[in-house]
Order: sequence, then C-alpha cells, then structure tokens
Amino acid sequence: MSWYTLPTGVPWLTLVVVIPLAGALLVALTPGVARSVIKQLGVLSAGLSMLLAVAVIGGFQHGVGNLHFQFEESLRWIPSAGISYHLGVDGLSLFLLGLNALLFLIAVLVTDPEMPRFKQFMLLLLILEAATAGIMLSLDLILFYVFWEAMLVPLYFLIGVWGEGQRIYAAFKFLIYTVLGSFAMLIAILAVAAINFSQTGQLSFDWAQLIQHPASGMWHLPLGLGTLGIQQLLFLGFALAFAIKMPLFPLHTWLPAAYTASPIPVVIVLAGLVSKLGAYGFLRFNLALFPDAAHSLGPLLAVLAVIGILYGAFMALVQTDLKRLVAYASMSHLGFIGLGIFAGNLLGIEGSLVQMINHGVIIAALFLVVGMIERRAGTRDRAQLRGLGATAPLFAALFLVVSLAALGLPGLNGFVGEFLIMLGAWTAFVPLAVAAGIGVILAAWYVLRFYQGSMQEAPPEPTTFGEVRPIDGGVLAPLLALMVLIGVTPGFFPAAVEATVKALPVIVR
Amino acid sequence: MKIDLSGLGIDYGAILPELIVVGTAIVVLFLDLLLPVARRRWLPAVTVVGLLAALIASLPLWGQNRAAFADTVVADSLAAFFNVLLIVITILTVLISPRFLRALDLDHGEYYILLLGATAGMMLLAAATSLMTIFLGIELLSISLYVLSGFARSVPRSQESALKYLLLGGFATGFLLYGMALIYGATGSTTLRGIAAFAAASGAAGNVLLLLGIGFLSVGLAFKASAAPFHMWTPDVYEGAPTIVTTFMSVATKSAAFAAIGRVFIATFPSISARWYFPLALIAIFSLFIGNLVAIIEDNLKRILAYSGIAHAGYILLGILPGTAAGFSASVFYIAAYAVMNFGAFAVVTALGAGGEQTADINYWRGLFYRRPFLATVMTIFMLSLAGIPPTVGFFAKLFVFQALVNAQIWAPLVVAVVMTIVSFYYYLRVVVVMLATPEEAVSEQPRVGISTSGVLGVAALATIALGVFPTTVLDWASHAASLHF
Repeated sequence: MSWYTLPTGVPWLTLVVVIPLAGALLVALTPGVARSVIKQLGVLSAGLSMLLAVAVIGGFQHGVGNLHFQFEESLRWIPSAGISYHLGVDGLSLFLLGLNALLFLIAVLVTDPEMPRFKQFMLLLLILEAATAGIMLSLDLILFYVFWEAMLVPLYFLIGVWGEGQRIYAAFKFLIYTVLGSFAMLIAILAVAAINFSQTGQLSFDWAQLIQHPASGMWHLPLGLGTLGIQQLLFLGFALAFAIKMPLFPLHTWLPAAYTASPIPVVIVLAGLVSKLGAYGFLRFNLALFPDAAHSLGPLLAVLAVIGILYGAFMALVQTDLKRLVAYASMSHLGFIGLGIFAGNLLGIEGSLVQMINHGVIIAALFLVVGMIERRAGTRDRAQLRGLGATAPLFAALFLVVSLAALGLPGLNGFVGEFLIMLGAWTAFVPLAVAAGIGVILAAWYVLRFYQGSMQEAPPEPTTFGEVRPIDGGVLAPLLALMVLIGVTPGFFPAAVEATVKALPVIVR
Repeated sequence: MKIDLSGLGIDYGAILPELIVVGTAIVVLFLDLLLPVARRRWLPAVTVVGLLAALIASLPLWGQNRAAFADTVVADSLAAFFNVLLIVITILTVLISPRFLRALDLDHGEYYILLLGATAGMMLLAAATSLMTIFLGIELLSISLYVLSGFARSVPRSQESALKYLLLGGFATGFLLYGMALIYGATGSTTLRGIAAFAAASGAAGNVLLLLGIGFLSVGLAFKASAAPFHMWTPDVYEGAPTIVTTFMSVATKSAAFAAIGRVFIATFPSISARWYFPLALIAIFSLFIGNLVAIIEDNLKRILAYSGIAHAGYILLGILPGTAAGFSASVFYIAAYAVMNFGAFAVVTALGAGGEQTADINYWRGLFYRRPFLATVMTIFMLSLAGIPPTVGFFAKLFVFQALVNAQIWAPLVVAVVMTIVSFYYYLRVVVVMLATPEEAVSEQPRVGISTSGVLGVAALATIALGVFPTTVLDWASHAASLHF
C-alpha cells in the first residue's frame, strides 16, 4: 500500500541528488557578501529536498518485498567496465532518505550566516547532502563508491576549516581513517565483480546482479601461510570501510577528535547521518553480498559492537565537555545498531533500522541542545553549568524530552529500537544481550546527570541564561515530534521495512 | 644505376601529421626571421593554425593499421590517439605562452620552433615501430627540450636545469642505444615486427643478449617517462626550467614515452612477459614509493608536482604489468587523464608565476582562495583529481588501472598502489588547505590572468570533471587505441 502514487516518468531519485547540487551551484555563483541570499538559497534547496523526500516516502509502496526497488532508474554509464547509473529505494534506504533531508535542513537552518567564509560553508554542506543522498540510493557498487568518496572531501574541509580546537589534526585523522577503509572496500568491490565475471561471464557492478552469486571458495595465502575464505575476506574489505565510518570499536579513535572539533551544523550531519551510512553499508552490502560470511563473522562484530556500547557509555560518564559527552553517547548508541545488524535475524535488523532513524533524531537534538547551551552560557564545561532551567523552563522541558528519548524511556522513540534490538540479540547471543543491557543503565546515568547537572539545582549566581528563541524551537520541534510519534506508533517502522528485511539474503539463508 | 624504392613502402600520408608539424616549424622559423618585431604576435597564431591542421590530418589515421617506410612507422589508432593528445597539449601550451614569455622577457620565436620540434619528436615516438624511429623520436624531442629548459638564458637555475637534463639525458640515451644494439645483435632486426617474431619463437626467453637489450632499452624509456629509479633529473629540471616549459614537458614527454613503452612491452614482447614482469613491477613500485613519499616533504609546488608526476608514472606502468590490451587501455586512459589534470595544475603555477618565479613556493599560495578565487578553485579541482577523488577523471584513471590489476590477480603492486594513494592525499590536500588558510602577511598583487589563460584553465578544469562524470567515450577510444597488433 502507499498513500498516493507519484507520477511516473519523473526521475525522482535523481532529483533528490541534483537539487542540493543545483543549490550549491547557485550559491557558488552568488557573491560571498550576499550572506542572506546565500542563506535563503541554502534553506530553499534543503527545503525542496525535504519536500521531495517526503513525497518519495509517501509514494513508496509499503509491503512490497523480494528485493523490489522502487522509483528505479537505470542508465548505461560505462558499459565497457560494467558500470551503470542505477538508483533505487527500498525499505533499507527509504526512511534514511527522510532523515538525510531533515538533518541537512536543520543544519542549514542553524548555520550562522555571519560566520567567516559562510558561502563556502554552505556550498560544501549542500554538496555533502547530494553525496549522502547518492550513497543511500546507489544500486551500482561503483556509483556507490563514487558518492562515498565524494562525501569525504566536503567533510574534510568542513571540519578542517570551520572547526574549533585541534581542527586540522581532527580533519586529517578523519581523512586517513576513512580513506583507509574506502580503499579496502574499493579493492573488495573490484574483486566481487571479477569473481562474478568468472562465474557468469558478465561484467557488472550491479547490486542486484552480484547478490545472486555470492563468492565462495578459499584463497591460499602466499608462502603456504594457510587459507582464508574468499567471502570472509571480501566481507572484511567492506566491513573495514563501514566500521570506520560508523565507528565500531576499536576503529573509533577519530571520533572524539572529529566530533569535538566540528561546528554544530557539521556534527549534526556527522553524528546524525554519516555514522548511519556505515550501518546502512553493512546492511546493504555485507549482509546481502556475503550472507555466509555474515553468519560466520557476525558474532565477532557483535562482540565489538557491545564493547563499543560499554566503552562509549563509560567514556561518556567521565567527560566534562558536553560535546565530547554526546560524542561518546553517540558511539554507545551506535553499538546497539551494530548489535542489531550482526544479530542477523529479523528482529535485530528491523530494530537497527528503526534505531538508525531514532539515533539520528536523538543525537541531532542532543548536539543542538549542546550548541544552544554553549551559545548562551559561553561554556560547554559540565562543571560550570548549573541551574540553567531556572530562567529557561521551556528550554529545560524540551531538553528533558530529548534526554528521556536518549535513555530509552518507553513511549518515546529510543525505546522502540532498543527493545527490538535486545529481542533480536537475545535470540542470537544471550550474553551479549545482557552486556548491552548494562549499556542501557549507564545511558540513564550519564544522560540524567547531564540534564540534572545543567538544568536543575539552584544556580550558583543569578543567571542570565535566555529562553529558547523561535529558531531553536523551530529546529527542535520536528525532532521532538518524531520522538513522540515513533514512540507511540512503535509498529509503523518495523512493518514498513519488514518485506525488504525478510528478503535479505542473510535472513533467507 | 636505378634505385628501386618500391619495397620501402613510402607513404607520406601515414606521417602527414608529423610532416605538417615540422613544416609549421619551418614556416615559423622564417616568419621569425622576416617579420618586424611588432608583428611577433603572429607567431603563436601561425603555430596554432599549423597544429590544428596536423590535428585534422591525424583523424583519418583512426582505425587504420598502415605500416609505412619499411615498417619503421605505423599509422594506427594508437598513433592517432597520441597525436591528438599531444597536439592538444601543445595548442593549450601555446595559448598560455605569450603572456608568460612577455612577463619574463623571453618572447623569442625560437620558443615556438622548439616546441613544434619537440611535438614532432613525440608524435614520431608514438608512431614508431622500429628501433631507429624510436631513437629518432626520442632525440628530436630531447634536444628540443634541452634547449627549452635553458630558455631563460639569464636565470642560472634555468641554465643549471638544462645542463643537468642534457648530461643525464645523454647518459640515458647511451643506455637506450646500447640496448637497441644488443637487441639488434640478438634478433637481427630493427623493426618491432621482426623483433616480435623472434621473441615469439621458442628459446627467446633464455636469450641473454635479448634480455639485456630489453633491460637497457627500458632504462632509456623509463628515463623519459621519469619513472624511479631513473627519475633523478625530474625535480631539478622541472623546478629550474621556465614553468611553461615544465607544464609542457611534464605531460607531453611522459605521454609519448608511454606510447613507446606500450608498443615495446605489450605489442613486441608479450611472449616473454614472464621475463620483464618483475623488473617492470619493481620500477612501478619504486616510482610509487619515491614519488608519493618525497612529495610530502617538498615545499615548492613545482617539485611537489614533479614527484607527483613520478608517482603517476608508477600508476601508468601498473597498467602495463598484466601484459594485455585491457591493462594497456587502462594505462592509455590514465595518460589522457594525467595529461588533462597535470597540465591544469602546472598551468595554474604558470599563471601565478607570470610575475616572477618565487611564486612556486607553497607559502605564496597561502590564502589564495581570497586573492585569486578562480585560480584557487581550478587548482582544487586538479589536486582532487590528481589524488583520485571522484567525481574527477583522476578517480576513474586509478579505478581502471586497479580493475585491470584485480582482473589479472596482481596483488602486491596493487596493495602498494593503494597505500601510496592514501599517502598522496596528504600532499594534494595540503595544497588546498594552504590555499584556504588565512594569509599571514599581505602579498604583493600579481597582474590578473588573461582571457586565454583563464579559458585554458577553465577548459582543463571542466574536462577534469566532465571526464570524471562521463568517462565512457574516452575509455572506449583508449581501449580501441590500445588494441595493438602486428
């Protein structure tokens, strides 16, 4: 079923990618001093993308499974190399598309037009939006890789040029980690296509083609060092790229530096969205192309995910810088998504898909709150913040909802995803589910301490901490609405994605 | 006594493009002599017209396989492809030359004559199918470039670079010639066709004379392609030569050298590929290591780009390693991609350097985005492309080479290439970061770039992106050109 039918013949998904690019082009042609024009152009193109994403979500036929993509577009691109321009959307990518548009709209809205080099900032932000949208929609592995790499450059500059503190170091560390993973994936992509070619005689990078012939066999190491399963090897090539992006323990060390250095609009995108692309990559490629390896290596990655949950939670507990606190909280919550994916069963994967949206919504809201606190109070140091709620009760109330969602209170969205993931993990590996449960308890601890410490108690001295501005309320409102909406209709998302998840090779096998 | 020439296969049509370029050089020589100084502006115009004529004359060669002059040259798709590439590079060079030359007071007619001479040599090298013509082409291009490197007569660095290039180049030519002599001694033939026939016979793989000859020949060719460890001259010559000359030779010489390398290794010695695979792989790996690692510590844009050029020679060589037409087509595509992006990068250095040569120092580039937004933007595009980041042509160049290696299951050089590509991100992006940084002190403003220079830079930047989005056509051309056969 769908709510309505979009006219056919319109390349909707190409438009999703092209509109931010067109906005970027217009921004590039606008003189840098016309800051308000640039801002309006940014809001306009991000807003249009939002409308388009909503239109696609509404026009999507829910309940159609069996790896059927919708709004598919397929064009010959580089036939002699087996590369095509193939876009499509299914249950894995549908709601991420909405999250993408929403978070970029918020990022554009909260960007201060008086910042230095505002034009270049907006330009890069819009290019980044096109790249991330392309990542979710690509069904050709090389096309996917093109978008994946194209995402890197804007992020590098957004952190390195507009960041704070050790921004160059943070940007560079981010770059090196990411590129390392990307190239491992590129070689794996080429090898997957080469293996498929040797099996079928058809040179193709098309996802739908490649999942039909999973690689098999053993690879003999040189010098008689033993053998490795080829599928496992390829799985690890992809996994490296996605695990770094997500990030999974122990590949997370770029995260605190990059998140802390990034300006708020960038960290919203980085934590809210880009981390999800790692998770999406696992679902789309690792679980689909290498089902056997996913079963054999899944437990190992699940262990890493749980370590990430606990490590992130403990690190969040000891942070005094609120931005770092939220950064580690994000990592801890991402561990849950990883756990759900690597559980490799229906509940776990559905839960992780729901939690991907939830995490994006919650983490974006938390970083927005941190940004608002910092701008008003002039500091992010937890020790110096107290009793801010006294003069800003509305702000405190909004923040409370966000906090409760973050710690997984039933009735709000965080609970829905975490509960499904725990169910999935419980059927797969009980001890890990138990350990992850400890992470939930720790989350309550650090989130509530953050909230109580900054908002409640008596202020040490008369504070001038201001109430929410309309723009702050405006960007928080859709996020809060989603938190409540997903929380009270817990069945909606899992039902919408179920058909796709059921058809995933890792479930089928 | 009547001399019978019928067996020689005299066919001027097959070398018509080369003839036109040489003819243009002679015309320019006389015009330079006869024209009053005020009309000197005509020289570049005549040069461009001549080159355009040669370009058009190259097009009919596409799809042919026309051996001429007793098998010493061939008019085939590969020759046509490289003719067009080399001529386009030369035209673009000529378009940005006058402004640069006038600024440095080097506006002499010889410049265009030498440029045309070098181009003719390169075209001949790309079409050569005999040891004689290979040598002829290399000498013609080398001697022209020796003079061009020292063209800034009053600048000691330029003189030094010319002398260095001449001495080392002469040394390399010695190797080349010695290798040719050994190959002739072993096979009894100077044409590549005859040598290929000998090499295909059993026992050739064990013929020490032949293998030694191939080794020495490779040294000479690798020198021209500036592949490590025969790259020593590259950074110094690139740095000392007038930037416009560096721009030209960094892309054109390498292209022509690789056309010859392709003809020698892919078409002539495929039967003994097991013998040359390992040394060639070593040269490629050396180039990747030295080029990418040393570029990190350089602070002069011309030297950074010189080492980057050495690294790219390594990538192009990787495509030769599988010894197949598929691999070679990846190399040919890479050469075209490299020509576009590297020409662009050096052209930006040239445009900035029109007021003096210290501008190649990286500190001069600090904050360039705020002083020269256009130059900084196109430079960013070239740097991203050289690093191989999509959606630029540099990405697909690397992708196709990597694909060829994966398909041929050549893993060790592939791993080196991947790791070194990651390393290369550091110095390419460093240039961009420097251009974005806030300038520490006010830099004296340089004269604006002229229309022709901006046009050339714009075309190169657009091509870098357009070929990165739609590489299909050029890729198909490259694979057609690379399907060599005797």
